[in-house]
This record gives sequence, structure tokens and C-alpha cells, in this order.
Amino acid sequence: MTRVLGVGLLSGWGEGVAALPADARGAAGARRVVPAATPALSGERFRRATRECLLGVAAVDAALRDSGLERAAVAGPRTALVYATAAAYGASNRAFVVSESASAEQRGGLYFPYTAPSSVPAEVAIEYGLTGGYVILVGGPVAGVDALWQASTLLAAGRADLALVLAVETFDECEELWSRGRWTTPRPLVETAACAVLAGDGRELGYGAAVGASTLETLASRRAGETLACAPLVALALARAAGTPRARVTGTWRGRSAQIALAT
Amino acid sequence: MSSRTRGAVTIVGAGVATPLGLDLDSFWTALCTGVDGISGIERFRVDDLRVGRGGEIKKLRAPRHGRLPRCRASALLTLAADDLRTRTPLTADPARVAVVVGTALGGVEEGERALAGRGARAAAAALYDSPAHTLARALGARGPVVTVSTACASGATALGVGADLLAADAADLVVAGGYDVLCRFVMRGFDALRSLTRERVRPFDRRRSGLLLGEAAALVLMARDADAPRVRLGRLLGHASSSDGSHVAAPDPEGRGLAHAVRGALTAAGVGGDAVDFVSAHGTGTPLNDKIETAVLRRVLGARAAAVPVNSIKGALGHTMGAAATLEAIMCLLASRDGVVPGTAGYEEADPACDLDVSGAARAARPRVSLSTSLGFGGCNAALVVEGSA
Repeated sequence: MTRVLGVGLLSGWGEGVAALPADARGAAGARRVVPAATPALSGERFRRATRECLLGVAAVDAALRDSGLERAAVAGPRTALVYATAAAYGASNRAFVVSESASAEQRGGLYFPYTAPSSVPAEVAIEYGLTGGYVILVGGPVAGVDALWQASTLLAAGRADLALVLAVETFDECEELWSRGRWTTPRPLVETAACAVLAGDGRELGYGAAVGASTLETLASRRAGETLACAPLVALALARAAGTPRARVTGTWRGRSAQIALAT
Repeated sequence: MSSRTRGAVTIVGAGVATPLGLDLDSFWTALCTGVDGISGIERFRVDDLRVGRGGEIKKLRAPRHGRLPRCRASALLTLAADDLRTRTPLTADPARVAVVVGTALGGVEEGERALAGRGARAAAAALYDSPAHTLARALGARGPVVTVSTACASGATALGVGADLLAADAADLVVAGGYDVLCRFVMRGFDALRSLTRERVRPFDRRRSGLLLGEAAALVLMARDADAPRVRLGRLLGHASSSDGSHVAAPDPEGRGLAHAVRGALTAAGVGGDAVDFVSAHGTGTPLNDKIETAVLRRVLGARAAAVPVNSIKGALGHTMGAAATLEAIMCLLASRDGVVPGTAGYEEADPACDLDVSGAARAARPRVSLSTSLGFGGCNAALVVEGSA
């Protein structure tokens, strides 16, 4: 079975499960978006990197710490990277669109490849030397579940010994757009970056359409708020914190649902 | 090879919408007869860009099933699906039909509209997964709906994810493929990168100087071998992906990630490099890409590399980004069916750094096993191994 070795969690509430409030909606008050602090990563290599890239790199670092793994343990072709997001390209897309009408001084220096969703896992892969299986999924909580399944599939096929499932969501720069979208729920949109380190034989996944939200999904929503593709990973972090040996995580997005079971 | 090849699935049929034609037959005929799908872009402003040409679809047709969505990305997918359904009915429980589509740009053109303040609908359509959900609704598919975005390798990754869904018994039929539209956003981006050529696109040619972009949608219908009808296009034998881990935009100069993906796909297919009869290369026509791909193919195929026919269809219709790899996989299967390998439009002068068996003209060959390679921003690599039915 697929085992979760560790989960790194950064959110608008802070780092880890302990930073999550008991009631995200109450804690957010009137705020529609709860932004996450931008990780302070130094180095010339990150000079062009976007905020979502830095959040992704920092989430992997947190996941490795939680797993007790050194960087060297994940470097190379035997570690797969599966990334999911619903919205983390919005800020860079907006910046690139807006730059067209900005004056030369205001235009800034966004490098076009950073408008692609793949820029976030790319920075992670470069930082940690990951060269294994590589899948990028776009969607809400269901994409987070699908990412866990894809990672398990790569483990089951013997194409990887370890798999990092990373999800990043940022909303702050596009808050006005989100406010227009009917999918915006009363819950706050909470910027989050989360990463789970998976190992095992990938079997007995229990992957498929979900019949109702799991207890963990409900708990993750209540405590973290709306974190879209990160939600299943938040649920895993909560399960691990509670000492639950086996977690059924679910997600719903655009009228579709998915679930997967993992050993935590 | 064994019919029990791990993860192999049947490709029942295909449908396309391209600058070369809005159905499979016209696309294939144009490709084999050397029709040029590149033209001056008319749909949006390009007069301030270095390059204003690309593979633009000039006029969309009305679909036979349903109506054409306003969002161009969804419209192209609808037309490809319409073409697919004309030949291949979706006969399965809707809850067991999955949709997996790859895209580099999603609904970014809708994002531009949304930022201009044009309502909530545009904001929703700006999400990159919106066209996949629109397609699923149009097909009546109620199974998994997955959007893949491994940049310009998306069309290959999507087929791989679709095969995985079948292997996991998460669906009985999968409509998988890719799409992307030509829009000002992407033209501005590639123009700024100076990746676009002012000349003709010339994959693997000594004078190659860059790529041109195109727009298209391409879909295949996939089923498990045991569930597939007797009439079929071929099979997806194996697939694999990898990350370069070297640069956000440029490919790894040694092509290590691509080589890893190719070896992974061959292993998954249960074949060696000696079984490959034909290679559909990514072949963008940039100086770096084609040189790297050549080096990788020489490493993976060994001494046979110079004798295996290789082509790139990007000279004919431009780089269609998320659609490219799916179109190329379909092309491999049609080559097997009809015994013709399309030429590489624009290829005239051999480059010693690209010493592969490339031809500017179509030639007679009936590849059984074909390899298709793809690369994309973010260090994305993907490889497919397909087998024709002929």
C-alpha cells in the first residue's frame, strides 16, 4: 500500500497543522483571501522565481523534514514529482497580461516561462535534483486526489521508489477575479503549499469516485478553509497529526468527486 | 510483442481540429501532400510583434453534435470530439467515460477577457481546467475529468494518464488528447523569448532558426484491449515522463531527462530500441531542440538511429503546444495504417549535428512500432510508444 512518510504544510495560517485555527471561517473574519507569507529563499537562482515557486520549494523542504529524509534521498530519477494546482498560475498570468498596458518602468521583469503551471514543479525539480516521473495536474481538490493516485501509480509500476505530491494555491493577486467566480464559497480562500512524501508498493489505493465527503475533508475545510488542490494534502497532514493509521481523503470540484486511501 | 504488455491500451479512434483541416481525413491528406498550414495571423493584433505568422485555423465549422462554445479552446476541443464521434461512438456507461486533456495554456485567453472586466463567466473560464469540463459535458461523460499541463508535452502526458485510468479500472473508455489556441498572450511570450523564426520552420535542417506556433485540438478514444472493438487505429504500448531538473525553460543540454522518458516508455512497452520502426520527433525547429533530440535518439536507438525514419510535423502546422504530442501519436498510427510517413516540411539541407533519417517529402513505409517524443517548459519530457493496427 502507498505510505505517507511525511507532509509539509505552509498556509496563510502559518506552518504545519498546529498553526491551523479551529474554525477558519471565524478566524478569517471579513477577509476573502488569507495570503501566505512568501518564504525567504536566498540565492541568485531564485531571482526570477515567482511567489508560488518559492512556496513550492519551501513546502518540499518542510515535507522532507517531516519525513526525516535528506535532500540526497530524493535526488535523481527514482523520485517522481506530481504537482497539482487549480489557481497558482493566476498571479503570473495576470502579471503578464497587465504588463502589456504598463509603462516600461512599471512592466517589471516576469520571464514568460513562469506563466506556465510547470514553472512551480520545475523550480522544485531543479532545487532538489528530481529527474524521475513528472506529472502536472490542474484542478481543485479532485486534482489533489488524482495527484496522490498518479504518484501511487508510478510507485506501483516500479517507476519510482519515492514520490513527492506537491500542491500550491495562491489567490491574493487575483482576489478580484475570485470574487466574481461563483465557485467562491463562504469559506475563506487560504493560500497554501503542501507536499506529501509517498513510498510503498502503490497497491490497494481505493481510488475512484467518492460517495460523500470524508471526515478528513470536512475537517480540513473547517480548519484550513478553501485550499483547493491542497485540500487532500491538508487532510493527510491532519490524519498524521491525529495518529490515524489509514486515511481516506476525498475531494469535490465542479460537480465531480474523487477519493483515495493511503497509509499514514 | 506480448499482448499482455503491461499497461497497453487500444486506441480505437481519433478526431482533430487543425490548421490543415478540421477532420482527420483532411488533416492526414494535407500532411501527406505537403500542404502548408502556416499563414499570417488575423484573429488578433500582431503588428507590434517580431513575428506575426503561425498555424491559425481561419474558420471554425458548426459541429454535428451540439453547438460551438464561445471559448475558442473549448470550441477546438468540441470540433475534435465531433470528428471523433463521427467515426467512433462512445458506447459505455457515461459514469465510466473519462476525459483527460492536456494543455499548455488552458483558458488563458478567457483570462485576458476576465482581466478586462468582462463578467464572472470569463473568470471561471480562465481556469485552465475549464475546457476539459466543457468537453466532458458535451460528451455526456460523467467519469473522471483530468486536465494535464506539462506544457508542450501535455498531449503525451494526457494519453499516459488516460492509459493509467484504464489500467486502474477507473474508467472503461477514455477520451484523451490535447489542445491549445493561438492567442496574443502566447504570441507575445514566445516573441519576447525570440524563439519564433521570421523564416520558414525547418526541423532538423542546417538552416533552422526557430519555431512558429499553431493551434489545434486532438483527441483519441482509448479502451482496454479486451473491451475494444475489432476496428481500431492501434495501441498505446507504453508511456513515460520525466523532469529535467535543470532549467525552467531550456531543455537539458545533454537531453538526460528526455532519454530517461524514452527508455521508460520502451520498458513499459516491453520492447527495446531495436523494435522502433519510426520516430515522430518533437522537432520544433529551434537550433537547440533538434540537436538535443538527435543526440538522445542516437543514444537510445544506438547504431540503428541513422536508419530509422524520423519526422516532425511542426513545419507544416506550427507547434500546436498541448495538442502537438497527441497529433503526432495519431500521425504515427495513420502512417502505419496507410503505409506513408509524412515528410518534414521545411527540411532541405542536412545538418551534421542532426544526422538522422529525415526527409522533406512523404515516403513509403509502414511502421509497426513508433516512438513519439515531447518536451516542454518546466523541464517536462514525455515519450509514447504506439503500435499500428496494420
